[in-house]
Amino acid sequence: MDCEFVPSVCSYCGTGCGVLFEVIDGRINRTLPLKSHPVNQGKLCIKGWNLHEYINSYMRLKGPLVRENGRLEKATWDEAVNQAARRFTRIKEEHGPDSIGVLVSAKITNEENYLAQKLTRAVIGTNNVDHCARL
Amino acid sequence: MDMVKAAKELLLQDRVDIFLGYHKLDGHQIPHGFTKARVADLDQLEISLNRYPLEKIACDLAQKDPTLKIGILARDCSQRALNLLYTWDQLNPENIETLTVNCCPSSLSTHGDCSYLKPKTTGEYKKAHGIDYNDSPKDFMAEHDSQDRLSRWMYEFQKCIKCYGCRNVCPVCFCKECSLEHPNLVEPGVLPAEVPIFHLIRATHMAGRCIDCGLCEDACPAHIPLRMLYREVNDAVSDIFGYVPGDHIEKSPFSIIGKTVELTPAPMDV
Ligand code: SF4
Ligand code: SF4
Ligand code: SF4
Ligand code: SF4
Repeated sequence: MDCEFVPSVCSYCGTGCGVLFEVIDGRINRTLPLKSHPVNQGKLCIKGWNLHEYINSYMRLKGPLVRENGRLEKATWDEAVNQAARRFTRIKEEHGPDSIGVLVSAKITNEENYLAQKLTRAVIGTNNVDHCARL
Repeated sequence: MDMVKAAKELLLQDRVDIFLGYHKLDGHQIPHGFTKARVADLDQLEISLNRYPLEKIACDLAQKDPTLKIGILARDCSQRALNLLYTWDQLNPENIETLTVNCCPSSLSTHGDCSYLKPKTTGEYKKAHGIDYNDSPKDFMAEHDSQDRLSRWMYEFQKCIKCYGCRNVCPVCFCKECSLEHPNLVEPGVLPAEVPIFHLIRATHMAGRCIDCGLCEDACPAHIPLRMLYREVNDAVSDIFGYVPGDHIEKSPFSIIGKTVELTPAPMDV
């Protein structure tokens, strides 16, 4: 039996607490706080303590889905991205760039958030970009 | 290092299938399960000043494979936790090998491999309104009347963010169904935590059970002096029943499931 511990960062909010995944035979079994992490110093909130539950959830989405005729169908990333790009372009042409808004998330990294606002401003052409942490 | 040699021997002689210790990864001292297949990794074995509940990890492994033989780097608190887990049938002592580390409890000692041997500092506001981490339950009882004690504990409890970290990290909290998640006792999804009931449920469960490792207090984001609370209940258990959890492989006076027992209560000093 294999048992190793993998340090990571909690993906639930922008605080970025250090976590330690207990991995038994390749499956995450428990989440512990990373004691030597400068942000949380060995403490977590209830969400961080339960990270392994959503990672192992059978309801977790592991690939893109595209809505076809009202039903969500499995698709490849290329299909999904192309489909989204096509529809956004149509909305932008018909109703103008300010008809689109982008809401980014604390669950993605700082750098990904930066790229999302860049896409919103430079590609879509709107300042309608906001963040879930601005409650 | 002798510890490395001893751990290698345990694995190479097949006396254990896995050895739980610590190593350094990305600059963090974290637990690791060493195996025979990669026995050379043991050269990186560390004692680590950060303590993690290795006994709880051993329980996780034993649950997946009850025949697994597990070696553990064991501090004093780990050994108390293991004794307790043996008496509650969570681990089989025949499947556990320990390698003990220096955790000298003597104040004359200049060195001990444990973060817990450093006294914690308590801020002035906490000293005035709450509870000093380093206070002993007996002094605390003697120095404050019951009204004052209640208001100090309530000051501490109302900071709780209900993270369940105290229970999650605790090596002796192994219940399949935890009372702290029972909707009739603790309403789910409600914040702030219901105080003091949330903490008193856990305190009563820790009577005759808490081995005073301090991991809960380390994990508490609200800086609640949990060890002191459980020391207080355990003082009552040792005064009345003469039982100190984890001291020996001896069942707690409260393990009465399936038996008829007579507990002789003694008067409590209030
Ligand atoms: S543990 Fe809680 S506070 Fe820390 S990053 Fe995760 S969700 Fe945020
Ligand atoms: S000190 Fe805390 S974590 Fe350790 S055994 Fe007692 S209740 Fe559990
Ligand atoms: S708090 Fe009580 S019920 Fe919950 S796991 Fe610990 S001992 Fe069991
Ligand atoms: S660790 Fe502290 S804050 Fe979290 S549930 Fe326990 S007492 Fe409350």
